[in-house]
Amino acid sequence: MPIETPIDVPLQAYLVLAAVLFCTGVWGLINSRNAVRVLMSIELMLNAVNINLMAFSSYIDGLEIRGQVFAIFVITVAAAEAAVGLAILLSLYRNRETVDMERFNLLRW
Amino acid sequence: MNRFPLYRIGGPSRLRTRAAAATVRSTRRSFEADMDLFGVLPALTELPHLAAASLASVPLATAPAIGLGITAAQLNSGAIAPEAAILIALLVCLLVDLAGEEAAVRWVPPICYAGLGTALVLLARQWNAPLEPSFLGSFLADDLAVAFRAVVAASTLLSLMISWRYVERSGSPVGEYAAILLAATLGAMFLCGSTDLVSIFVSLETLSVSSYLLSGYMKRDARSGEAALKYLLVGSAAAAVFLYGASLLYGLTGGSTGLDAVGVALQTSATPVTALALVFVLATVAFKIAAVPFHQWTPDVYEGSPTPVVAFLSVGSKAAGFALALRLLVGCFDSFDTQWKLLFTVLAVLSMTLGNVVALAQTTMKRMLAYSSIGQAGFVMIGLVCGTEDGYAAMVLYMAAYLFMNLGAFACIILFSLRTGSDRISDYAGLYQKDPLITLGLSLCLLSLGGIPPMLGFFGKIYLFFAGWADHQYLLVVVGLITSVVSIYYYISVIKMMVVKEPQEASDVVKAYPPITWNLAGMGTLRTALVACVLVTAVGGVLSNPLFTWANGAVTGTPMLQQSIASSAAREATAIAAAPVPPTPAILG
Amino acid sequence: MLSGLLLIPLLGAIALLVWPGAVSGERLRRTCLALLVLQVAWSLRVLWQFDPTISGLQLEEIAPWVGSLGLDYRLGIDGLSLPLVLINGALSLAAALVTSTSTPRPRLYYALLLLISGAVNGAFLAQNLLLFFLFYELELIPLWLLIAIWGGSNRAYAATKFLLFTAVSGVLILGAFFGLALATGTADFSLQPLLGQELGMGMQLLLMGALLVGFGIKIPLFPFHTWLPDAHTEASTPVSLLLAGVLLKLGTYGLLRFCLGLFPDAWQLMSPWLAGWAAVSVLFGSLAAIQQQDMKRMVAYSSVGHMGYVLLAAAAATPVSLLGALFQMVSHGLISALLFLLVGVVYATTGTRDLNVLRGLLNPERGLPITGSLMIAGVMASAGIPGMGGFISEFLVFRGSLVPFPVPTLLCMVGSGLTAVYFLLLVNRVFFGRLSPPADDLDTPLPAVPLARQIPALALTVAVLLLGVAPQALGTLATATTTAMGRAPQRLAALPVSAAPDRLLAGGMGQ
Repeated sequence: MPIETPIDVPLQAYLVLAAVLFCTGVWGLINSRNAVRVLMSIELMLNAVNINLMAFSSYIDGLEIRGQVFAIFVITVAAAEAAVGLAILLSLYRNRETVDMERFNLLRW
Repeated sequence: MNRFPLYRIGGPSRLRTRAAAATVRSTRRSFEADMDLFGVLPALTELPHLAAASLASVPLATAPAIGLGITAAQLNSGAIAPEAAILIALLVCLLVDLAGEEAAVRWVPPICYAGLGTALVLLARQWNAPLEPSFLGSFLADDLAVAFRAVVAASTLLSLMISWRYVERSGSPVGEYAAILLAATLGAMFLCGSTDLVSIFVSLETLSVSSYLLSGYMKRDARSGEAALKYLLVGSAAAAVFLYGASLLYGLTGGSTGLDAVGVALQTSATPVTALALVFVLATVAFKIAAVPFHQWTPDVYEGSPTPVVAFLSVGSKAAGFALALRLLVGCFDSFDTQWKLLFTVLAVLSMTLGNVVALAQTTMKRMLAYSSIGQAGFVMIGLVCGTEDGYAAMVLYMAAYLFMNLGAFACIILFSLRTGSDRISDYAGLYQKDPLITLGLSLCLLSLGGIPPMLGFFGKIYLFFAGWADHQYLLVVVGLITSVVSIYYYISVIKMMVVKEPQEASDVVKAYPPITWNLAGMGTLRTALVACVLVTAVGGVLSNPLFTWANGAVTGTPMLQQSIASSAAREATAIAAAPVPPTPAILG
Repeated sequence: MLSGLLLIPLLGAIALLVWPGAVSGERLRRTCLALLVLQVAWSLRVLWQFDPTISGLQLEEIAPWVGSLGLDYRLGIDGLSLPLVLINGALSLAAALVTSTSTPRPRLYYALLLLISGAVNGAFLAQNLLLFFLFYELELIPLWLLIAIWGGSNRAYAATKFLLFTAVSGVLILGAFFGLALATGTADFSLQPLLGQELGMGMQLLLMGALLVGFGIKIPLFPFHTWLPDAHTEASTPVSLLLAGVLLKLGTYGLLRFCLGLFPDAWQLMSPWLAGWAAVSVLFGSLAAIQQQDMKRMVAYSSVGHMGYVLLAAAAATPVSLLGALFQMVSHGLISALLFLLVGVVYATTGTRDLNVLRGLLNPERGLPITGSLMIAGVMASAGIPGMGGFISEFLVFRGSLVPFPVPTLLCMVGSGLTAVYFLLLVNRVFFGRLSPPADDLDTPLPAVPLARQIPALALTVAVLLLGVAPQALGTLATATTTAMGRAPQRLAALPVSAAPDRLLAGGMGQ
């Protein structure tokens, strides 16, 4: 089953985009004080992974499209993870009335 | 601040712990929080199915391309029969939970025992069975996987046995707790046998997400929530990093996700991107086994989480992490073994040193055991770095030994905290008079962790050091020997508290020790698990030969490990053959 | 046969621990005593079956244990270990006898006592390196508990110090054993095959160094001795008795069996230095003992000195000196046990061990005449007065070592002379002069020591005397083994070119 590949854009471009996105996510992860932003940064990292997978899938693995299958799993699991994350955050917010990471200090880091 | 006991979460004491809160409002709010958290449960219960689906759907996606109709026999789905048993138990637990709390308290424990027991029996039947990849290469039930899955399943069984009373005291629904713990078990067991990046990822996340929920299970305890959030953020970040590495590997192999294919592809490519992927994947492995410097989450999570959950995390989750490490490092990155061995040598030295040294300064049992578990992981890494038959066997053996001694220790501290509500080491002073069982059990388990003969831990540790020495890992063994002296010191100081302190020096908690009763619901199983663990720890060492045979069998019955051993032996042989050739003057000139 | 020596005390200890219900201390004590008597009887049975003409191992027992580790259950006995096993049985019994009947927590106490006794037997009998190590470490925790629970005011510090020193010594020994088993490429820890191995000199020196330091901590030798005085001072009398009488012998036994037995070439190379080390240790121990004001510390430092003789004799490694080393181990075991016992009696009756306070205890009416007399006998034996056990062992040690190492031997003789000085000091201050009890009223006599408590001391004194008067009993047991041990390195040294073992031989021939 032949798959048309967008030849105009080289694979590297997608990879660079994904790398930039991933680094942005890491940066946000490290620098955010707000726990929701941290969760969002993690989503960014996962999306970078998805771009990588999709790009590889369509450029290299046109037949078996494992990358696309992988990406669907990533999306699903990320949704579950985000749901659990937000639930924990919410319950914590109701206990502590803050989402500031710096103030979650009952446990020594 | 009042260091409140984790389980005592009834209204008044719970409220005391919050500095400034309007009492009525906050009670209502935390109640709402309960509701919210359980709204997630559907999402969670999907995960195990997802894990199973991931195994099935990868080949299904490829099926049209291959042009084959696929039947269950071709998928070899019998390989996951133990997991299926646990999955059924999980579903039944959830169903029973719907019938109300009373029915759940009555029926959930036997259902869990039945499921886990069946799983263990099925695992035993898989031992040395003819080897065939399942789900078109997503899962492999080799002896290594069987051994680690058995450790995971046994750790869940024992953790559940020691947690009923604790869960009931905390007022949480038993059915949900058991279901989430079984989901985590399922993830861990799948992880032990996964041989495909996709199935590794999904089972890893099944384990992780369930663990986040478990560690936040004491919803009304702010520390538990905080532990869960920290665990979740660090764990998700680690998973994302792993995924990024996995996506790079997927590209490097030219479109395949099986570990075999990745291993083959890596043999021919040594680009910087490969190195990057290696580092990313290794970081996740190190995170999962809590190797220094990826250990930061451990003490906090251990301290904040409910104690039975910590018991599971420290054994079951860690065993799965080591299985993953073996699969990835030995099965996949074999061509980079010099690099990753160097890296893991450093990690092992750091883990042993930091884990054991920082444990000296701890004042609570859980935190002390958290740091000690970091140190213990460092010891196990010696076996990983060796890469010899003895090294792998020593890893398997030590994990099995660790299962019993660590869970035994946790059973004792759970029992102590159930009776007194305290977790501080100084509160154990003079315990021998009031509670000889805890004193004896905890002493034996801690001595075993410290590697004192004739406990089981002594034999396990000696085997690790022996394997390390035989493979010329002198640095690791020397550091291991020195740090085990350090570890003896802090384990002993707990024993000193319990055994040596005179009655008049006993802590207030011990002076007000309640009379010992076993007739409350859940206490009987706790006692059974405690006695079983302590017995195995104490007697298992002297009778450890079958265990050694088993561990060696797990290594000889695993083609992946045998290949690696054979290839490293071949490499060594060529190195020896090449060594005597004197360097030619032309090169020198 | 030999397993009985392990099983009686070890199973007995477990039985005491799990004995259901509340058991009176008296009953536990009697059970423990019965078990120890049984152990002594059993070791006498072993003695009966022992053939002193054979120099090698006898009554061997071999059973596979953990094959992957190269650990098998292999016991054997020879002229070196048999006397030590006998001493261990006797002193364990003595320790249990002198324990106060009202000791707190008797169940744990007697169980630990039995555990130590069994572990020490195991270490003396083990013919597999890992098995030896297992027993060597097994005795660690019980002794730590004995010091930490039943010790004096500063017991926590002393017990922890003991624990850490011994743990380090264990680690060094384990490392050396690993190195040895794997350097020979066998991955088997059985002692006998290892004895014939030939290793490179560098490797031998390295491994022997680790073993030397490891056992040096246990013996203890000069720079590693600091745990001993503290442990002795804080430990109760029976524990001190065991520690000095039996547990220190583990170190010297290891020195003879493993350092000398496994690395004969390196040992020969290093022996002048070792002899020097022995002299330093002896002189240091003696000089330090002179300075002590506490009777127990003084006896403890005298142990440091006297154990140095064993190193000297081992360094010389002539048949005579090795026989002397064994004699010294036995006689020091008996004498130091006797001295600690008597110091314990003095402390129990007067409440102090301070040399500046105690006076005139020999006073026949109000003092401790029997204890005093026995103390004088013990001190004489320790100082090596002819006719006592100490004399014969020191004589053999010096006789065997003088030719190969004249200067260190002479220095050690000086140390022996110093023994007389500090013990005379002790006897002079504590037992002679006017009795001035710490109590205000001078007329009240000190409480009389019950005869039952004097029996162990009397028996030990008799044993010391017997050893001095009839040394040939022990000599026949041990000569075959020590002679073989003494010759082994010479034979090995003689095989290569011509290492001129004349000096060594001279000691043996002179007999």
